Amino acid sequence: MSARATGAVPLLVVVAFVAAFALIPAAVLIAHGVATGGGLGGIARVATDPLNERAVENSLSQGAASAALAGLLGFPAGALLGRYSFRGRRELLAVLIVPFLLPSLAVVLGVETLFGADGVVSSVVPAASSLGSGFWGIVTANVLYDAPVVALLTAVGAESASPALEETVAVLGGGPWAAFWASWGRPAILGAAAGAVLTFLFSALSFAPPLLLCGARCYTVEARVWSLDQIFLDPGSAAILALVLVGLLAVPAALYLTLLARLRAARGSVERRPRPLPWRSPAVWPLLAATTALALAVFALLGSVLWAAARPESPGGAAFSAFVGLFGAGVTTRLGVSTWSATANTVLFATLSSAMALLFAIAAGFGIGRRPATARTMRALVFAPLVVSPVVLSFSLAQFWRPVFGGESTIGVLILLAQATLALPFALPAVEVALRRVPPALRESAQTLGARPWSAYLDVELPLVRAGLVTAALFAFALSFGEFTATYFLATPTFNTLPVELYRLEGLRLTSYAAADAGLLVLVSLVAFLVIVRGGRRVEL
Amino acid sequence: MSSSECLRVRGLSASWGTTPVLSDIDLDVNDGEFVVLLGPNGSGKTTLLRTIVGLESPTSGSVALRGRSLDGTPTYRRGIGMLFQEPALFPHRSVWENVAYGLELARRPREQIDRRVDAMLDMLRLAALADRRPDTLSGGERQRVALARTLAPEPPIVLLDEPFASVDVEIRTALRSEFRRALSTTGTAALHVTHDREEGLALADRVILLSDGRVAQSGAPEDVYRKPVDARVARFLGYNVVSERGTSLAIAPEDVELGPPDSSPTRGVVTLNGFAGRDRVVEVTLPDGVRVECRTSQESGLAPVGASVSLRWRRSVALA
Repeated sequence: MSARATGAVPLLVVVAFVAAFALIPAAVLIAHGVATGGGLGGIARVATDPLNERAVENSLSQGAASAALAGLLGFPAGALLGRYSFRGRRELLAVLIVPFLLPSLAVVLGVETLFGADGVVSSVVPAASSLGSGFWGIVTANVLYDAPVVALLTAVGAESASPALEETVAVLGGGPWAAFWASWGRPAILGAAAGAVLTFLFSALSFAPPLLLCGARCYTVEARVWSLDQIFLDPGSAAILALVLVGLLAVPAALYLTLLARLRAARGSVERRPRPLPWRSPAVWPLLAATTALALAVFALLGSVLWAAARPESPGGAAFSAFVGLFGAGVTTRLGVSTWSATANTVLFATLSSAMALLFAIAAGFGIGRRPATARTMRALVFAPLVVSPVVLSFSLAQFWRPVFGGESTIGVLILLAQATLALPFALPAVEVALRRVPPALRESAQTLGARPWSAYLDVELPLVRAGLVTAALFAFALSFGEFTATYFLATPTFNTLPVELYRLEGLRLTSYAAADAGLLVLVSLVAFLVIVRGGRRVEL
Repeated sequence: MSSSECLRVRGLSASWGTTPVLSDIDLDVNDGEFVVLLGPNGSGKTTLLRTIVGLESPTSGSVALRGRSLDGTPTYRRGIGMLFQEPALFPHRSVWENVAYGLELARRPREQIDRRVDAMLDMLRLAALADRRPDTLSGGERQRVALARTLAPEPPIVLLDEPFASVDVEIRTALRSEFRRALSTTGTAALHVTHDREEGLALADRVILLSDGRVAQSGAPEDVYRKPVDARVARFLGYNVVSERGTSLAIAPEDVELGPPDSSPTRGVVTLNGFAGRDRVVEVTLPDGVRVECRTSQESGLAPVGASVSLRWRRSVALA
């Protein structure tokens, strides 16, 4: 029927976009690599290469350790944030998402500033320096990056518990444990589990932390794919290893999406108000302690990056002088491109790609609203490029589309496509969750008054989810602003964005400028998220 | 009242998955007529309205508006107005903009829109609220705005899905008569769904009783009330159903007379006795366990719980 077709068209547009600019190029790349790499024999050779085996082990061990620690730290904090209201709760929820938006390089820089040789913490507590490099350095970076996400998802779960059910337990004589088991424990654990699996995925895919904090012996599969292609110039093996990577992450990715779907089902469409925090109740003290620890860790991370950025360019110089130097001729000469141009590129590409991600999220939101049965498939589809990984995505995008678009001028287009594809999985939920809260009777009223499906969507539904649209746009903007892996892979020497410049400055050991660059990235993410919370909005995953 | 046909429904069936909700419904509404669809919760009333307006698809059957078949026509082209239980006003639009929405969609000329919206607001005493946002209005005001919005594009018929259920009891009666007046002023036909039998009987030109997804009975309110066709309808209309010598009788609570234990062959024990304002409500349980409700203001209604009484019917209807 026509109503069904109306819903199908925008969905097909989104499917076509993800297929054309992520899934098909990746599949072609992998298939080509397997064919030229010697077919099954090639797969066996790549799979049994000791360095590749080690990369798989590294991905698994780093992923598992990071997921466990992020879960332990994030769960109690999320329980507190989801169940109780207190002054600054909203701001805290916003700040927690900031590390997630930073380029991993900035997080690495923060870890080095805190725990590296002569780090802020390690110079006081020498034992802490083990967190500044090697395996534990990588895990520290991953946990700082992802524990807040575990906390946010746990909070979503804890919020969804029915207060009436908990009050009934209390009236029947149940204490805090009974309330936990009967009411809020299950959804909170569900949220924490989703967060831990997501941590595993991102940690198994981590790129900058093994590169900068440890070196080749700690390479994840993602980093190994990159080095096979870019350093050893062996794209065939890289492609086969990319296949291994996809195989490795398919199950956890499916698990994450399933947990997330359950979490959303538990949450329903009602927004509940958390009750005031009972400071005097000993049952909340451990939760308070964990929340404080997590908040301190995030503030220390952001603070250390900003502090490092504020340090003078050279000993005895003025504070913030590194910012001046960063934009000066010296850096331009060393890198061949000015920081001004890198900033302009970053802003331009983040703006365009977030607009693109938002448009696709709006289209998908329309389709899912008319055909709710497609919701899970669509979420899985837009999530798939993350599992394909930024390295493989950009690598295959370049291989597949460069001959079509032709020449140097396509870099911009490819970067735009890659950033939009990577931001979409985070822009879509913000729009979709908001749309689900609009009472269906509003849309139906509009229809009975003569509104066609798109008119009803544009006139009635979208204006009501403006907050969700702003959140989606800012989230996508901040992610694209800090996107490093795919952009770096596609960028040419004369093209820079701030995260790519940060990497190049680190490589040239221009640490004070690198710190200033990272400081800029932290500031932009912070501003984006203060805007989100000021409007009473929040981030949805 | 004009008697030309406005809405015609034939053989309409619908189901939720494999559970049938409506079976083989035939229904007509004439131009300007106010028809009430009465039935208990879960009898399929809302589904019937949603199917007529095209928000749900029927498994079979047809709907026609003024002779034009609507089968396969999307909701937005049907031109049937609908009021939902919640007023469903667009929160981001003012009262005036809400009422103008349907006219804007129909691309009416600006001055015509202005005139029509103002007329609707005047008719429903909303002119002073034109610039207000829906969240600043009372429940009754919201429903009036919703009616103005529905009537503005001049639909030949409006479907009303229990629009008074969300309104405070004190203003419900006034709102009902205001709705009724607005619909007859504009000459709009109405198909009004409710499970409140007093509301339904009071408003209707004609009543259709729906039970288990089927039309159980239809006719003028007085006729339906005086002659319920079966026990289910009788119970829904508030009758006691008692079986005597092999026949089922429907007896209205007002028609039950209580007397001393030996004054009639039908006896029972008072199991509840409560004050209900103008009269008392007495529940008497018969020996076979059937409970009979009696409303009386006579002295015999003071019999305490546990007392034996005899019952006599002033009037009863034999059921099929």
